[in-house]
Amino acid sequence: MDLFLQTLLNGLLQSGVYALVAAGLALAVGVVGIVNFAHGEYLMIGAFIAYGMSAVLGVDPLISVTVAALAVFAAGALTYRVAIRHVLVAPELNQMLLTFGIGIVLQNLALLLFGANTRTLSTGYQGSSLAVGPLTVGGPKLVAFLLAAALLGGLYTLLYRSSLGQQMRAVAQNRRGAALIGLNVDRVYLIAFSVACALSGVAGVLVATTLFASPTVGLVFSLKAFAIIVMAGLGNLTGVLWASVLLGVTEALVQTYVPGGGGWSDAVFFLMIFAALVGRSLRGAAR
Amino acid sequence: MKNFLTLAMMLAFSCAGAVKVGVLLPLSGSGSVSGQAAQNGYRLALEEINRAGGVLGKPLELDFADDGSTPAKAVPEFVRLVTVDRVDFMAGGVSSATSIAVSGPARQYNTFMAWIGAAAVTVQDAFAGDPYFFHYHPWAYDNVTAVLAYYRYLKSSKGAKNIAIAYEDGPFGASGIDSLVALLKKNGFNVVLSEKFKSGSGNFGPFVSKAKAAKPDIIHWIGYDVDALPLATEIRQQGLNVGMVYGTPPSWPVGFEKNPLAQGVAGLSLWLPSSPQPASRSFVAAYQKRFGSVTEEYFAPLAYVNLKTLADAINRAGSTDKDKVAAELAKTDVDTPFGRLTFSESGKTKYQGFKAGSWLDFQFRDGARLPVYPVKFARGTIQYNSTR
Repeated sequence: MDLFLQTLLNGLLQSGVYALVAAGLALAVGVVGIVNFAHGEYLMIGAFIAYGMSAVLGVDPLISVTVAALAVFAAGALTYRVAIRHVLVAPELNQMLLTFGIGIVLQNLALLLFGANTRTLSTGYQGSSLAVGPLTVGGPKLVAFLLAAALLGGLYTLLYRSSLGQQMRAVAQNRRGAALIGLNVDRVYLIAFSVACALSGVAGVLVATTLFASPTVGLVFSLKAFAIIVMAGLGNLTGVLWASVLLGVTEALVQTYVPGGGGWSDAVFFLMIFAALVGRSLRGAAR
Repeated sequence: MKNFLTLAMMLAFSCAGAVKVGVLLPLSGSGSVSGQAAQNGYRLALEEINRAGGVLGKPLELDFADDGSTPAKAVPEFVRLVTVDRVDFMAGGVSSATSIAVSGPARQYNTFMAWIGAAAVTVQDAFAGDPYFFHYHPWAYDNVTAVLAYYRYLKSSKGAKNIAIAYEDGPFGASGIDSLVALLKKNGFNVVLSEKFKSGSGNFGPFVSKAKAAKPDIIHWIGYDVDALPLATEIRQQGLNVGMVYGTPPSWPVGFEKNPLAQGVAGLSLWLPSSPQPASRSFVAAYQKRFGSVTEEYFAPLAYVNLKTLADAINRAGSTDKDKVAAELAKTDVDTPFGRLTFSESGKTKYQGFKAGSWLDFQFRDGARLPVYPVKFARGTIQYNSTR
């Protein structure tokens, strides 16, 4: 029983970072209407900012969260101004090719600047943990989970309790209608895309504190984020939370209880994408 | 005028027609620490060789290619080096997966390969009987022999008997796992857990949770540098009490030794800068002079030895004819930073260089790697119960 509860807890904690990455991607898809294949690379930028500030300036990675959020927000804004806004009405394939290309450029820039080596952070609390009865909760994972939850709460408040959020939802529902009533659609897109990137950047800091920083660290997380938004339905932010928990817990259960599950866990998200798409198509056919 | 003369000399030198060696390395991806260490080793050797007159009176030239630590990139890069760049010889190769992948084109083009990595037995099978495949790195069973000697020592001196194994699910980790488990059992150890994982996923939570229930004395993991810190962190966070955490990655992450969680983690290496061989001391001095610091990654001296011995064989052969060079390289008998290097048949391949006796065990202690076994090379006693 202890093993089962510990497995659920491991999965739940893992889902926090997944949700943070996926929420950003869902925002870009839902509001701006662009599938950002470079989303994982903004995570990578956040991870390197945490590493750089820790290794060079001796700043605790968790303090660098604000810097990473602002820096990646700015990087997202620059990307939007320079590239994304020009393909908003282009065919989807062109949009995908563009964001894919941006991802490759960012990865190679990181390779040039930092090299391909795996960079690890060292903090005094890295090995800390909290005992809850027979269960243990890793300190950095718990902090990452709580921070992710707080940011997602903030995002929810922004979307549903603020004027800017109202504008974002209006633009997401009907771009032309929003423009007709005088909303600055381009500005809303800029902010939504930049916030999406910033969320990914913060997730990068959390990844750096629990795993490592490397030019390719974003890939795995962006693949999982795609699985989550497919499960949740494109642009569905509330669904992202449940899909993230489902993915995190399923992965943990597979790793613990399926023979050789550690090797299968990366296939879980593909199976979940498959199941979600088949389920959706069956529901569509039934209607 | 001086610049003009230098340019003229360089032109004359290049017109002489260089002997080209293609070097396929993981300069990016999961094996990049090893690949970059190897690249430095090759550069150092190349400069020394060309300073001493090159090979066959011509300059030696290296043509580096990045295999990205993936077979999908390794194969086209290998084929490009052999068919477009028309290199005379191929060197490098770190990962088993990429080496298996290039075995097909290597056979197709009859390529001469002086190979520094790839320990998996599946690579041995892929290059069985190949007259131009010289393998410098020990095979996986040689690693196992070395690890087993260390574990037997831990068993007799510390009572370590129960082993939990975490292995990555690629050829490096998975291909020899059954024989490793069988061998451990045959030698009186209990393998209480054996779990595969996806390298780079960083998710060791379930493995450590299960290991807590299994109560091992030793955690043995076979993976890559990206897995080192996530595993050490998870062990500490879940409070897993274990006598020894022992890893066999080809390289360790940059800065791992400075992390407090690395304290007591043990590993296997072919070489450390403190290795007592005279050839090691001169390599360390040359490396320090060239790069300003000393690496602890054994792929640097391994690449250095690789190119030096290949160049020597070409010079002795008096031509780049593959059969003549193979015959000369097979006669190699030199002191290296790892001890004496000779080639002999091993398993299914014709030319095997270093074997089990070359390995040594170390522990991360106070920010450095401390050799602890075999006893004759030890510079400190083993710290057991490192996480307890």
